[in-house]
Amino acid sequence: MNIKKIINRQNIIALLPMAALAVLFLVFCTVVNAKGYRLDMYLKIVFNEALVLAIVATGATFIYTLGTFDISLGASTLFSATLGVMVYNRTENIALMMAVILLTGIVCSLLNSVLASIFHIPAFVTTVAMMSVLSAVSAQIITVNGGALGGISIPSSVVKPFDNMPFKIATLLLFFAVSVFVFEFTKAGRRMKFVGGNPLCAYLTGIKADKYTILAFVMAGIGIGLGAFLTLVYTPSVTTTTASSIGMNIFIAIVFGGMPISGGARSRIYAALVGGFSYMLLNDILEIVIDSSAAYGITQVISAVFFLIVVYITGMNYKTALLPR
Amino acid sequence: MSTLKKILKTLAIPAAVAVVLEGICLANGQTIISGAKSFDNFVVYTAIVMITTMALSINLNSGRFDFSLGAMAGLSSVIGAKITYGFLKGGSGSALLMLIITVLAGALLGLISGAVYCALRLPPIIVSLGVTLVYEGIMYTITGGKYLMSEVQNRSMSGFVGTWLYAAVIIAAVLIFMIIVFERTSFGYDYNALKSGQKVAVATGINEVKNALICYTICGGLMGLVGMLNAARNTTINGGQLNFGSIAIMFTAFLPMFIAGYIGRFGNEKVGFLLSALCMSLLNSTFAVFSNRINATTQSIINAVLLVVFLIYLNNNHLIKRIFAHV
Repeated sequence: MNIKKIINRQNIIALLPMAALAVLFLVFCTVVNAKGYRLDMYLKIVFNEALVLAIVATGATFIYTLGTFDISLGASTLFSATLGVMVYNRTENIALMMAVILLTGIVCSLLNSVLASIFHIPAFVTTVAMMSVLSAVSAQIITVNGGALGGISIPSSVVKPFDNMPFKIATLLLFFAVSVFVFEFTKAGRRMKFVGGNPLCAYLTGIKADKYTILAFVMAGIGIGLGAFLTLVYTPSVTTTTASSIGMNIFIAIVFGGMPISGGARSRIYAALVGGFSYMLLNDILEIVIDSSAAYGITQVISAVFFLIVVYITGMNYKTALLPR
Repeated sequence: MSTLKKILKTLAIPAAVAVVLEGICLANGQTIISGAKSFDNFVVYTAIVMITTMALSINLNSGRFDFSLGAMAGLSSVIGAKITYGFLKGGSGSALLMLIITVLAGALLGLISGAVYCALRLPPIIVSLGVTLVYEGIMYTITGGKYLMSEVQNRSMSGFVGTWLYAAVIIAAVLIFMIIVFERTSFGYDYNALKSGQKVAVATGINEVKNALICYTICGGLMGLVGMLNAARNTTINGGQLNFGSIAIMFTAFLPMFIAGYIGRFGNEKVGFLLSALCMSLLNSTFAVFSNRINATTQSIINAVLLVVFLIYLNNNHLIKRIFAHV
């Protein structure tokens, strides 16, 4: 096979996540119409479900680019939202609540990076510890102040002004634009890809990985803060299970969007956005088609198999003779 | 390093943990092991932690991150419980039959997981995400998302965890099995070669796929054993663990895995797994002693802090030694 053919094949495969999103969107519209449901309402549901995942995952892309991962993102989102609710209920100040949510997200993420960078601990292990601590503390606050099932809440009128599509789309686009700028058009973004692709080579060329690890976690922290705020906008109450699945769904979203989990030069900032919406569309299609609570298990099996197939096809360019690790 | 020094260093951490925790208990007028029941729980928990840690480390030491451990434990125990109940209806011998079926089911699930990894040639972490979702989905479908109770609540199962003896036999059997398989067989030699240098090992003719499949099968079998022990200990199996609800089990194994790695510097790593599991079990028993004062939140925080502090020491001990040398 000549080089031109290989490049063409690579380009086609690189477009597959986008194509999968487009196909899933069409299938979703067809299924909703066929069932006689209101398409606008269902699109709104999918958008709201995917929005938080896409924003947190876009921030997390910076961490994944470095070749590491953060399993505490869901717990950090829960903790940020919990503190936000507590602050609002004490002060009734929405601006302060937003500031606390954003700052908490950044501080939680920074703590992970500081532990990893200064004490030379593998980043994923610090995030495992952080996940335990943040989940436990959030659960304690929620249980003491509102009960494990009911949770804690703020009046829905407080977040009503933000619960509209223009605000949510603007937030998503703004954060995405900032992320694209940092990732694609700054020295920091390029160096992050270099560190993720070959840490030793990056080190030998004088790049300080610690600096970029901290920056990556700050970007993820901003994503967490925005995600936590939008979670409250959608549902103004926090329970112990809020955002519980985000941490792992981020893996799925990023890989589904065509980014390698190993990070490096092949990292794509749009992967989280494309993958997040694709995954939510897929889940919602299956839930509509298999319309029964007992079918949750079957839905999950089918979506997992579909996930593996898509990842297998998008990863076909990068198969090696050795088993990947 | 002399043999005596090696033995002393190997036993240092568990001995220190025992002394500190027993000291805390005694200072409050209690003891870590307060009776026969407490000792039974201690040994069963040690077995669970040791086997989970071994299962985690088999693949993680080879650079294969596997999220599906909890799903394998859960699904294999559901399969074991359902089939056993179908045959014996909770009668005598239920525990033994469930043990056999659960371990076999676990090994099969592990083999399937390994086969998917080898066939797709995707990074193991990605494959394990998909496999976890599939196994959780199957578990949910079999159980209808409910807890399995009648299948595991019978006299035979109570007797299985009602004495420390069976758990001790399992610990000994697994320990001997792991030492022989990973240190005294050609599979073990290949495993260690692949662990140290994948490219060179494959170039010398080692069949990597076969080795990986065996690793996943052993890992699955061990998690089947954990599923059985958990089912007997909790007298129920949670069948409704969707959307990665099953992965928490692997996080409990991180701290003992790192402790075992440290102990392994002075002796046998597999013995290190047992000793680190003993440490975790001592901590768990101490939490049980102070259960009215230390809630679940505090326990989680203590565990997480211990993990971070131990890793800080492990990754910076050369610096710490240098600082103390100057003092």
